[in-house]
Amino acid sequence: MTKTDLTMNHAFVLPNSGHKFDAKASKMGMWLFLYTELLLFGGLFIVYMAYRYLNQNAFLLASFELNVWMGTINTIVLLTSSLTIAMSITALQKGDTRLSIILAFSTILAALVFLVIKYFEWGAKFEHGLFPGMDHYNSLPYGERLYFYLYFFMTGLHALHVIVGGIFIGVVIRLIRKGRINKNRISLLENSGLYWHLVDVIWIYLFPLFYLIH
Amino acid sequence: MKNKENITSENHEQEHVSSYSELFGTWAALIILTGMTVFISISGANLRTLTIATALLIASVKALVVGFYFMHLKFETRLYRIMIIIVMALFTFFLIMVILDYLTR
Repeated sequence: MTKTDLTMNHAFVLPNSGHKFDAKASKMGMWLFLYTELLLFGGLFIVYMAYRYLNQNAFLLASFELNVWMGTINTIVLLTSSLTIAMSITALQKGDTRLSIILAFSTILAALVFLVIKYFEWGAKFEHGLFPGMDHYNSLPYGERLYFYLYFFMTGLHALHVIVGGIFIGVVIRLIRKGRINKNRISLLENSGLYWHLVDVIWIYLFPLFYLIH
Repeated sequence: MKNKENITSENHEQEHVSSYSELFGTWAALIILTGMTVFISISGANLRTLTIATALLIASVKALVVGFYFMHLKFETRLYRIMIIIVMALFTFFLIMVILDYLTR
């Protein structure tokens, strides 16, 4: 290779030289974060599995306290919100900003629906005194207390992720409106979508773990 | 200036644009799988170990569908899939260590 060949070679142009935007690095950063999230919930999953193995009957009894239908509706709500944010990305890639914003908004709306249903679910548990520290909870056998402790901790941490994801998408909508996120600079919308899908994936595991395994 | 335009357009070409029908099909598959897992749970309440296995299996299929189609893993460079495998291997290692711990107490 001659000297001129080297200078002409594209590989010698840094990916972000001349501008502050690097879509690939942005996506890789988001994925690295998502991998740590998987391990965070993976650790909780192992805790659940170990205690379920040690307290099989208690976990079985306690799991009948949960309302399968509320869980099923919430699953459908989250899956649908995953669809709308994925469609929002497609819409912006195709250049339809208005549709993209509408779809991103419906994702936030679905997040709110999810949280309202969660509120009623938790509310019913509070009425029955099942939150850790309440009278009924304290009178339960050891295994059932573990189940409800894990239930509140894991669904609570997940609900926190739903709230953060909703805020993230809200910020993204603002930036789409300002034109800072557009057809050629779509990274932030894609990243908020990736985060939202991860929230969905976590729920996909939490739902059978707490509601379905009888 | 010309270089800059070239780079952004190259990046854009690599980007996979999912069609609406493709996304809708993915969603429909996920809803059907959810229906299946709820049905198995309600109808087969006596088959304890079987429901645990089927529920986790269906959940994993759903997670893969979300990952591959909604999160675009299918259309990304291989690196992302390799890293997922590394994360899952790490998780499996933790799980095996915990199982060994309880079995050898």
